[in-house]
Amino acid sequence: MFPLRRFLATTAKPLLQDVVIVGGGPAGLSLLAALKNSPTTKHLKCTLVEALKLQPVRDFGEDPPENFHNRIISLTPKSVQFMQEKSGSWDYLHQDRVKFYDNMVAYDSQDSDARIHFDASNVILDLGALSQIAAMCEVVHIQASLLQKIDALNEELPEEDQAVVIDEAKVVNIIAGNACDTIDAKSNPQTSLDWPVVTLSNGQVLQTRLLVGADGQNSPVRNYAEIESRGWSYDRFGVVGTLKLQFNDFRDIAWQRFLTTGPLAILPLPEDNATFVWSSTPELAEILVKVDEKIFPQLLNAAMTLDEVDLNYIYKMLKANPADMTVLEEIEWRTSLIPEEDLDEKFPVPISELMPGSRARFPLKFLHADTYIAPRVALVGDAAHTVHPLAGQGLNMGQTDVGLLVDALETGVDRGLDIGSTLVLEKYVATAWPNNHALMGVCDKLHKIFSTDAFPVVALRGLGLKSLNYFDVVKDIMVKAISGR
Amino acid sequence: MATRSILRSARLQCTRHISSSSVRCHDIVKLTSASADEMSHFNALASSWWDVNGPQRILHKMNFLRMDYINEMVKGHIKLNDNVVDDEDKVYIPPYSLDLLPKSIRTRIQQEQSARRDEILSQKKLKALDVGCGGGILAESLARLKYISSVKGIDLSTDVLEAAKLHQKLDPELSEKLQYELTAIEDLPKDEKYDLVTCFEMLEHVQYPAQVLSEVFDRVAVGGWVVLSTINRDPISWFTTIFMGEHLLRIVPVGTHTLEKYIDQQEIRNWVEGSPYQDQFAVVNARGCAYIPAYGWKFTSSADVGNYFMAIQRVK
Repeated sequence: MFPLRRFLATTAKPLLQDVVIVGGGPAGLSLLAALKNSPTTKHLKCTLVEALKLQPVRDFGEDPPENFHNRIISLTPKSVQFMQEKSGSWDYLHQDRVKFYDNMVAYDSQDSDARIHFDASNVILDLGALSQIAAMCEVVHIQASLLQKIDALNEELPEEDQAVVIDEAKVVNIIAGNACDTIDAKSNPQTSLDWPVVTLSNGQVLQTRLLVGADGQNSPVRNYAEIESRGWSYDRFGVVGTLKLQFNDFRDIAWQRFLTTGPLAILPLPEDNATFVWSSTPELAEILVKVDEKIFPQLLNAAMTLDEVDLNYIYKMLKANPADMTVLEEIEWRTSLIPEEDLDEKFPVPISELMPGSRARFPLKFLHADTYIAPRVALVGDAAHTVHPLAGQGLNMGQTDVGLLVDALETGVDRGLDIGSTLVLEKYVATAWPNNHALMGVCDKLHKIFSTDAFPVVALRGLGLKSLNYFDVVKDIMVKAISGR
Repeated sequence: MATRSILRSARLQCTRHISSSSVRCHDIVKLTSASADEMSHFNALASSWWDVNGPQRILHKMNFLRMDYINEMVKGHIKLNDNVVDDEDKVYIPPYSLDLLPKSIRTRIQQEQSARRDEILSQKKLKALDVGCGGGILAESLARLKYISSVKGIDLSTDVLEAAKLHQKLDPELSEKLQYELTAIEDLPKDEKYDLVTCFEMLEHVQYPAQVLSEVFDRVAVGGWVVLSTINRDPISWFTTIFMGEHLLRIVPVGTHTLEKYIDQQEIRNWVEGSPYQDQFAVVNARGCAYIPAYGWKFTSSADVGNYFMAIQRVK
């Protein structure tokens, strides 16, 4: 208690807030926009703190560059609905940079007949709902749209209710307010609040009724709340980048091939643009980020079409020399053995170009926090969970979190409760945690089933995919599940 | 709601005190000037009253239902198109169930209605009185509502009022809107009128509930509400509140309830209709509720069994 009291005595009186959100990623900004967009919660005093500069994000919104950014995610229709109805940021997206797709093909590298084709345009949905699997969108684009929405909401709100966004400020320190010492509280009411006190690198001190951690995998807020996050590293890396196709593909298909090193997905972007996510072993990822930018498009084409034996040979050549141009001939010769109608029908449009400098690599992990709440603390997005990207669910789970947290806070405000109390937050964790856990479990199992080359598993998963492909009813249910319905 | 701890500490004083406007108990008043070790006692009580995972959790959970009920009654009975002259400005109220409409149209109508409702409420803010406020669970919640301008919480136990006041200091939002007073309802001046008077979990503990209700009715402004809750006098109530609640699960102390003092909802209706208040007050709604272990409180379909809430409005 002693150092705490001294701390409070020597600094300026902290600014009291209802909600302080740490982290200006899509989850944090969505929460701020949704709170200010809701008639029930718009009066709450909210501040968002982001360590990085947000001006580049705003610039993106004002005047987007021609080339696509390499951090791209797929938004499920449920997330799109959230952006339309809750955060209200959907209209601020440049629609020509968002790509919907309604078909998805997944196939196995070890059994060329084992493939499954989902077609969402067959799925009958409720009136007015989008019959799509997902929409591809840049992460920075989502952030930009949210910032614009927040600015627009601020213009309508009286000054004292306006949302505050502080960027270029790190959270230096979070301490509990003076919670237990109520006798002291009586004599000195100023220090009696048990609200967390957040000190920023710019010297500002905020004391908040509810502290929300939207601060990513290594969440300082989660550490402050002493919430364990459990999981494991997959010993795999994700490599991403943006691409140009040889010609515009009008089919709107997302392609995913399960290689033994991990799934490789080619996902459509507007016009002749595309993006890839290649989950791979650390060894292969090392090669992938080094391969010459001229060879890389052909390597991707090869990885989507050739057999694992061929691929391993090519990887070996590239490991020895990442700029070995003879690889191109090798790939061309091996591809020429595949019948042309197969190339047209069964595989994605060939890639012609890798956007210079767009390749990036990150480690894949499975992490799930034991709970998302503590007294006066809630976690959303990656601070709560990190998932294998193979089903494209990470950011969408974050959007679901935010939606459910806002629901819980609205109920709390309607009932006149203290929104930092676990009485209010319990509803959030009860609705969000179990679904996320189930979804993460499915992604994890898919990774495990497809990352092996053990014969019985390969045979079984091939049989599974092939037979499943004939059951449209089951596939339609799966499409609904993937798209978050 | 205070009655549980009232009974623990000063049961007799409490019941007599409420039932007649007799002389104030001096020893209660004296307790307000607390010594140091009484303070620590209050602190212990405060922390247990407000420990949402502690012994009072069931009460905190019930508060959800109370607030939902109060909101529903107050908001649901606002005339949205009163004083609106121009037809163009009127909010559309369909003469059939909203559920029959497609979702997008339904939400649009609901949003429009609730915006108008908030507008009307923000113009006419309500003054609330919580009789038997205890540690202030309901009083704090009422004070946080935007349509409530002020809340007075009254109780007869110094201990719990002290706990309530201590907890109030933990939220700066409450400092101006909420006041506590150690007083009985009959000692409040009759010209002090309130738009909302709540007496939750109280009538089943007093000797003469009719007298208490009269005192409450005398302090309600025209258009104002009395929202109360108590328990029907039936075997199911005995089973849930006394056998399970007190003896088997020990959620509340043994002796908290007396079956003979429970009041059927029909009895309150009959009393209102036969009392001098019959022209002024109307029972608008009564609704049963039950505690379901591992879930919480839930409204039931019958107000004639077990616990129930009741809303009475002063119509003129």
